[in-house]
Amino acid sequence: MADDAETLFRNWLAEHRGTVLRVARAYTATPADCQDLTQEILLQVWRSLPLFQGQARSTTWCYRVALNTALGWRRKERRRQTRQRPLPDAENLAAPEEIAPQSDLVDRLYAAIHRLTGADTALVLLHLDGLSYRQMADVLGITEGHVGVKLTRARRALGELMKEKADAE
Amino acid sequence: MPSDPLQEAWQSQPDPTPDADRLVREVRQHQQQFAAMILLRDVREVFICLVLLPVWVGMGVGIGLPWTWYLVIPGIVWIAAFMTTDRVRQGRRRAGPGEPLVRGVESSLADVEHQIWLLRNVLWWYQLPLAVPMLAFFAHVFWQLSGGNLWEMTVATSLGVVIVGGFNGWIYWINQKAVRSTLEPRRQELAAMLQGLSDESPAPSNT
Repeated sequence: MADDAETLFRNWLAEHRGTVLRVARAYTATPADCQDLTQEILLQVWRSLPLFQGQARSTTWCYRVALNTALGWRRKERRRQTRQRPLPDAENLAAPEEIAPQSDLVDRLYAAIHRLTGADTALVLLHLDGLSYRQMADVLGITEGHVGVKLTRARRALGELMKEKADAE
Repeated sequence: MPSDPLQEAWQSQPDPTPDADRLVREVRQHQQQFAAMILLRDVREVFICLVLLPVWVGMGVGIGLPWTWYLVIPGIVWIAAFMTTDRVRQGRRRAGPGEPLVRGVESSLADVEHQIWLLRNVLWWYQLPLAVPMLAFFAHVFWQLSGGNLWEMTVATSLGVVIVGGFNGWIYWINQKAVRSTLEPRRQELAAMLQGLSDESPAPSNT
């Protein structure tokens, strides 16, 4: 791959590494799975960078790659299917200390997100990361009006799950 | 600035700090191995066919087998061509990872449905093109060995049908089991995900 692509990857990593980790953590239940998915997203980004020609904003493209990879990722199957060997530094990105409990609220958020459907998880993640309806519509490939309808439902589901958890405690 | 406490807490998560140089090096190495593996996977069927064909012809000539032995060759060529063409066509239809999510899920769903179609029809495109010529060969050999005795030929060929049929039944069962246990649940999961993203009906009111 050309040096240009390597520079692009470095810039991309500097800007979006947090997004990769948050998506991986939202779609996995264990640190080992989170490391696997983080690695898979980074490899997918590397392979796809030559296709990124600025037709979408960098943020939109990052979420598309991360979420498409997460939704297609099957626990324990990917590495076996592609005979992947682990990438130590990709694993460090999602090392236990990186995903250690940060605050009670964030942990409760992740616990609730794990119980949402795949589509609702995507919507909630985009909302929590502060994307506008326009950006969310671009990532998902649906209309802005539709984002509003879906997000209302997803946020309601998230709220109920967090309330359940709080009541249980 | 985040407009609600959940967003504020979420966005306060610290970003990880990877060693970018090492990570780039690892990803680059991995990509080279991955490309080699994909190439191997793509040429595997054709390679097996290329190896199998001369072996098949060599055995036929070497042992002096009858002409029905060679009827399997079109079957082998057909399967290799079918699998290769199918893989190329499916690869072209597949959405890239940078496509919108709905397009990605639609593509995955189409992919899984195609896999289900392939396995449900494995009898027609994979098993029969090999089994029928094999049975024709057995019948021919038994006809020659029995000296033209129709009864003996029928009994021996029936035994061949049971053996070939049993083996192919087992292969078929394995394929249908994969459909039921792996592909069908995945198809349902993707269909639900697609519906979750593309259902345009308004949200129910709280009242």
